[in-house]
Amino acid sequence: MNSRIEKLRTFLLDKQHHRFRRSLESVGLADLPRQFAERGLVAVTRSAEALAALLEAEQPVILPGEKLLFTRTVAGVPDVYTSGEWEAIKRTHYIHERGTVCNISPDYETTLRAGLQARKEEIAARLADPALTAEQRTFLQATSACIESVQELVGRYEEYARAMGEHETAEVLGAVKNRGARSFREALQLLRILHFSIWAAGNYHNTLGRFDQYMYPYYRHDIENGILTPGEAFDLLEEFFLTCNKDSDLYPGMQQGDNGQSLVLGGRDADGGSLFNELSRMCLRASYELGVIDPKINIRVDKDTPAEIFELGSQLTRKGLGFPQYSNDDVVVPGLIQKGYTPEDAANYVVAACWEFIIPKYAMDIPNIDGLSLAGCVNACLPQLAACPDFGTFYKAVEAEIERRVGEICEKHKNLYIVPAPMMSLLMDGTIGRAQDISQGAKYNNYGIHGTGIATAADSLAAIRKFCFDERRVDAAALVEAVANDFRGASELQSLLRREAPKMGRDDDYADGLCRDLLASFARALDGRRNERGGVYRAGTGTAMYYVFHARELGATPDGRNAGEMIPANYSPSLFIDQKGPVSVIKSFTKPELKDVVNGGPLTLEFDQSVFRNDESVGKLGMLVKTYIVLGGHQLQLNTVSREQLLDAREHPERHRSLIVRVWGWSGYFVELDECYQNHVIDRIEFGV
Amino acid sequence: MQKGIIFSIEEFAIHDGPGIRTTVFLKGCPLRCAWCHNPEGFSPQPQPMIRRGVSEVCGREVTTGDLAAQLLRDREIYRINGGGVTLTGGEPLMQPDFAEELLAMLRPEVHTAIETSGYASAETFRRVVAQCELVMLDIKHTDPAIHRRFTGVDNAPILRNLEYLAASDKPFIVRIPLIPGVNDTERNMKEVLALIRDARSLERVEILRYHKTAGAKYPMVGRKYDPPFDAGQEPHVCDLFTENQITTVIL
Repeated sequence: MNSRIEKLRTFLLDKQHHRFRRSLESVGLADLPRQFAERGLVAVTRSAEALAALLEAEQPVILPGEKLLFTRTVAGVPDVYTSGEWEAIKRTHYIHERGTVCNISPDYETTLRAGLQARKEEIAARLADPALTAEQRTFLQATSACIESVQELVGRYEEYARAMGEHETAEVLGAVKNRGARSFREALQLLRILHFSIWAAGNYHNTLGRFDQYMYPYYRHDIENGILTPGEAFDLLEEFFLTCNKDSDLYPGMQQGDNGQSLVLGGRDADGGSLFNELSRMCLRASYELGVIDPKINIRVDKDTPAEIFELGSQLTRKGLGFPQYSNDDVVVPGLIQKGYTPEDAANYVVAACWEFIIPKYAMDIPNIDGLSLAGCVNACLPQLAACPDFGTFYKAVEAEIERRVGEICEKHKNLYIVPAPMMSLLMDGTIGRAQDISQGAKYNNYGIHGTGIATAADSLAAIRKFCFDERRVDAAALVEAVANDFRGASELQSLLRREAPKMGRDDDYADGLCRDLLASFARALDGRRNERGGVYRAGTGTAMYYVFHARELGATPDGRNAGEMIPANYSPSLFIDQKGPVSVIKSFTKPELKDVVNGGPLTLEFDQSVFRNDESVGKLGMLVKTYIVLGGHQLQLNTVSREQLLDAREHPERHRSLIVRVWGWSGYFVELDECYQNHVIDRIEFGV
Repeated sequence: MQKGIIFSIEEFAIHDGPGIRTTVFLKGCPLRCAWCHNPEGFSPQPQPMIRRGVSEVCGREVTTGDLAAQLLRDREIYRINGGGVTLTGGEPLMQPDFAEELLAMLRPEVHTAIETSGYASAETFRRVVAQCELVMLDIKHTDPAIHRRFTGVDNAPILRNLEYLAASDKPFIVRIPLIPGVNDTERNMKEVLALIRDARSLERVEILRYHKTAGAKYPMVGRKYDPPFDAGQEPHVCDLFTENQITTVIL
């Protein structure tokens, strides 16, 4: 890190740029929705006007040493509807989360190459089509208006830079205001502008996609033509990474840190060739040096990925940022093809805000539309247990319950409404051709369902099978009653269930086989179902925040877990099992057919910091990751924590402001998390070495 | 089939040899090193141990066949990662027939290693070592009186076994636990260096710094940790090996 980047980093971490911020009220934008309503504007026009008003209220600033500009100075995004209007829409529609387009992977590449002016002309040409409906025309006009608003702000930034004597920066801004990027610096600046603009348009969980692929031509061009040295390119890259941390506290998420700025490195192309390049390597190094939580690094790997890449990744893990997260092309690509994605699109997959596998440019998937509590499905069948003559009969009941609940979930998402997003539409393929807003759908419109409490469900089934059927040691009615009473007065039975029943994560086929069955049943229950947009449903192993909701409503479970005890986040062992070690965990969790649960959701392993005492042990961590991939794991995230550190941080947040932990699909500052999330992180199993 | 007493099996043991390894802890040790952090390894028999307020039995009897079958479940993982199985303790050479048979069952498919104090007869040492691809030998002190004072045993058999290794083709690692005020002197290091300098098959030296938490498990097995050296002091790292072209790792 050179001193310019170092200073800028300190400036941002000290939040000094917050002094430029003004509230929506103070810039007169709080009242926009009412004005829109009075003028009777349609939604897509409102979206474009809200963006225009916000960008107009923005004031150019240049932070110390900055070469890549654009900083938010208005601390908010105006609504497009009045609260009354929104309530009325909610009454008749299914609303996903905040109701705006989110969690997709924009196509920055096309606009970086073509430039804003050419995109505007493309729209103008499309508008010449006499066959367009009024609605289509309005959409195209709104998108064109978004481009103009962005260009207007770029122009003001350019003038400001010139006035401040930053001539090079002004040149770059002047160029990318109209044309496509021709250098690495121009490409980074235009990318920053586009990314900034979609956040300003009220879209969120805006991912960065395959950055090392779409930026590589610019990088190579500059290196080959002597425009930049690798060192200079690295500084610009670090600065770009810092820009992702400027306004991130303004980005909406479940908790701070959950902002979805995922960036994906490496992977294979459609022909199987490795795409990990010099820029991918640089990204890992920049992330390591900067030690900030955005962008969140993901690495696409496969069974042939060289050990060196796993080692580089493990170096970054050592940093304690909670990433990189790994995904396995050997599992994910065929899994996506199986769900109907073309081989070319599947090969180009990225991760959404957390871990869900999505396709840049072409997919308007909602990969987190709902969650199925698998442990809840098992519990719901307990009243039938005593009447089941064998375990197979009980399992069939569980399977039927999964099927029933999945049916219910799929019924829920009818009449979906998403606020039009003309700015985001510009960055998604085919919207101009179709003259249709991205909120209406795209080439892919698939929904993903999380499966929560997988290990709790598998362990519960294992305990039931072993004690009630195989060994007949426990009376089914007694077990059901004990669970219903949260094991009050049944401590002996609870201890048997907790300590002696087979558990997933110990390389025990007895429990692991049941997990494989459960996931297969879950995937089968979704097979063939179609959503109202014509998309399919994808089963997943992630939990997002559902692990908190579902644990609360679950009650005690037959694995000996008490009501109120947490269930694991994502695809991980139960929190109280007697661990054999990470190798057993990996073996257990690679037994299910993970191609079939391609919505994603990582196995999470937590390591005590002592693991990382030297490079040799970091290399071994890389081997462990590779092992998970070779054995057919789909996704993996690693945490390094020390329990003492977490306990101390809970007591003395002021001493641990910079402590970063991985929560579910994202990393956040520990001290800023709600207590329930803090406790969950503390309770998770650590592999002290 | 031989039976043995073990007290732990640890997966992904990252400081016990190359690659991804599983380490098996054999119970019983003839030494009483004042800095030992595994006091549950002293007694050769299973014994009660209090963990998180619950009394559990530490140590169990296993047959070589069962244990080998369990370890071989991970053969593929050892293979892809250049890893294997390491026997440690306690002192694995205290159960030589068990150790020898177990290692033989794992070979040649699995890379085998042993971590030992070297305190065993030449015959025992040689036949168990013959079943290992790698030997990790602890050298605590070259001075017999000091060695006896801090470990309870004479170092003559250890040095004799070291001499054997140094003259052999068997890959080995010398490990030196660095104890403040006990063996962290230049003189001790010089003498160790003299013993290993010309060894053909020495892979490296590992210096393991004494850690203050060494005493944590003593109350759990009803013992008192009372080291006869200044445990609060940082050990003096005197690495004469690197300058003599011996790869050295300080942990």
